[in-house]
This record gives sequence, structure tokens and C-alpha cells, in this order.
Amino acid sequence: MEDIAKDILVRASQGDMKAFEDVYKASSSFVYNVAFRVVNNREDALEVAQEVFMIIYNKLKEFRFESSFKTWTYRITANTAINFAKKSSRTKTVPFEEDFGEGAVLNEAQTRMDQEHQGKLVEKLLGELNPDQRVCVVLRDIQGLSYEEIAQSLNININTVRSRLKRSREKLMSLKRLVDYEKV
Amino acid sequence: MKKCDHFKELILTDYIDGELDKDSTGNLENHLLDCSDCRIFLKEVKNISALPFKQVLQQPVPTALWDTIKQNIEGQNQVTSPSFTDFIERLKGWLVFPRIVPVFASFLLMFLAGSVTLNTIHIQQVQAKDQGEYLVSLLSPAGPSAPSDNNDLGTPIERYFL
Repeated sequence: MEDIAKDILVRASQGDMKAFEDVYKASSSFVYNVAFRVVNNREDALEVAQEVFMIIYNKLKEFRFESSFKTWTYRITANTAINFAKKSSRTKTVPFEEDFGEGAVLNEAQTRMDQEHQGKLVEKLLGELNPDQRVCVVLRDIQGLSYEEIAQSLNININTVRSRLKRSREKLMSLKRLVDYEKV
Repeated sequence: MKKCDHFKELILTDYIDGELDKDSTGNLENHLLDCSDCRIFLKEVKNISALPFKQVLQQPVPTALWDTIKQNIEGQNQVTSPSFTDFIERLKGWLVFPRIVPVFASFLLMFLAGSVTLNTIHIQQVQAKDQGEYLVSLLSPAGPSAPSDNNDLGTPIERYFL
């Protein structure tokens, strides 16, 4: 996510729509992509992203610059997406095995010939995780946040971040049984 | 084996995420040189639980998103314009139940307590005065029925009858 100058944030907090549009431009890719990966479908991701920006718009006047705007946005996005994913039954996609079939997962993950399949693979892998684990993987592996940033965003201990990532990866590793690893 | 479990745990988290300190990284990498089992594990972790996510492309943000957000904000601002909101807030500040009631209740209580106290003092004063006058009349030579100078109203009609 891009840095945003303080004066832009101040003007946006005073209701300046041009400044708020700048805030949107700097953060929309992060917000939408996190939402999309956590709720795992486009329509819901749009709904989550709208909600996130309405929260940012309405709460910006209360933002005191004690924490960074980035962390604040990470937190709003993660919380909104997790809450949506927990409420929605649609986030659980087709079971992994049904869509890819035995022996296909690693071949596809490793060859990654085209981005559409890569994206679908990621959707399926994320669909195997619960929302708390999913958001940790998304923030770490897709958005590249550090453990410290994830801990601040989710308001949890850094060891909880570590343990959620460990459990997520163990779960994903268990899928290797579906694969003839020697063929890779 | 226990050593491998420890290293595998590090591989799954801090090592693959670049969060491991320099010394621990050195120890782990030395171990990897000797342990094929841990090397295979590292390869699997990279391929299955890290690489697919790191290589996925960011989704383009739909252009309709900003339009919808802008519409929502404009709609929200129309419903509650700032001046109207300010007015309501000020009105609330003055009239809001929790503020006005304790103040009014305090005044009422003080007024009631003051009235009761003053009334009690007045009754006590009247009673003391009556008792004093009665005792004085008992001690006077004419007896209690004799009218005192104070009781002589002095009107012609009273003088006629009494």
C-alpha cells in the first residue's frame, strides 16, 4: 500500500472529496485484494471494500496519527473481511479434491503456466483455511506484511500470528498427499 | 529427530518468511546441508504453502467501486448535512436527559429540604412562644383566665361583652 501524505489525510478527514479520492487511489488495491482473497469471491469483495471505505471516510476525523494510517487501514480491512467471511457461508468454495482431482495440485502449483489457473489454485488453497488463518496467509504471503504488521493489524500477539501461519501451512502441506510428488 | 522437528517448525514460519535472526538462520542452513529430510521438507513448504501465494497476480480494482463509494458518501451527506448535525448535537448538549435531570433534581431536593426545615423551625418557635405565654399566665396573680395587657384587644365591642 502506498504512503499517503498527512495533509491529504487531514483534508480528507474534513470532507474534501478530492483528498479522499487520493486516499482511495493509494489504498484501494490493497483493500480490494485482501477482501477478495479473504471472502474468496468478487461480489462479496466489492461489498467488503465499499464497507471499508465508508468506515475510513466516517472515522477519519477521529484518526489521531498515533498509529500509522497504513496499519489502521490494514486493521479495518482485515476485520471487515474476517467478519464478512465468518458470517457468509459462501466463502467455503468447492472442496479442493473435487475441483482439481488427485495428483493435479502440485503439478498445477509448480508449472503455473497461466495466471488464471494460478489464481484458481490460490482460491482453492485459501478455501481450505478458516477466515482467521486465511487473513494471516493473505497478509503475509500475498501482501508481504511482516509478522509485526500482521499482529498490529489483527490486534493479536506476534506468536499468535506465527502459530496461525504454522497451522495454515501444515494444513496446506497435508494436501500434498493428493499429489504424486515424484512427478514434479 | 527432535532437532529436525525444531528446524521444521522454523522452516514453516520464520525461515520461509525471512523473520529468523542471523544466528538461527546460520544454524538452520548448516543443518540443511546435512539433512536431506529437512531439505525435502523445505522444498515442499516452498512449493505448496508459499510459492502459489507469492506468485499470484494482484486483482485489478473494478472501476465501479469508486463510483459506488462516492454515491454512498453523497447520499449519506444529504441525509445528515453538517449544519443540521451540528444543530442536533448542540440541542442534545443542552437538553439531553442525563445532564438536565440531575441538576433539576438537585434544585428540587434542596428546595424541598429547605422548606421542610424552615417550616419545622417556625412550628417550634410558635410552640415555644405559646408555652412561654401559658407559663407566664399561670404565675400571674390573676390566674390563667385573667386577661393580660397583651390580650386586651381594646375594641369597644369586646369591652362591652367582657
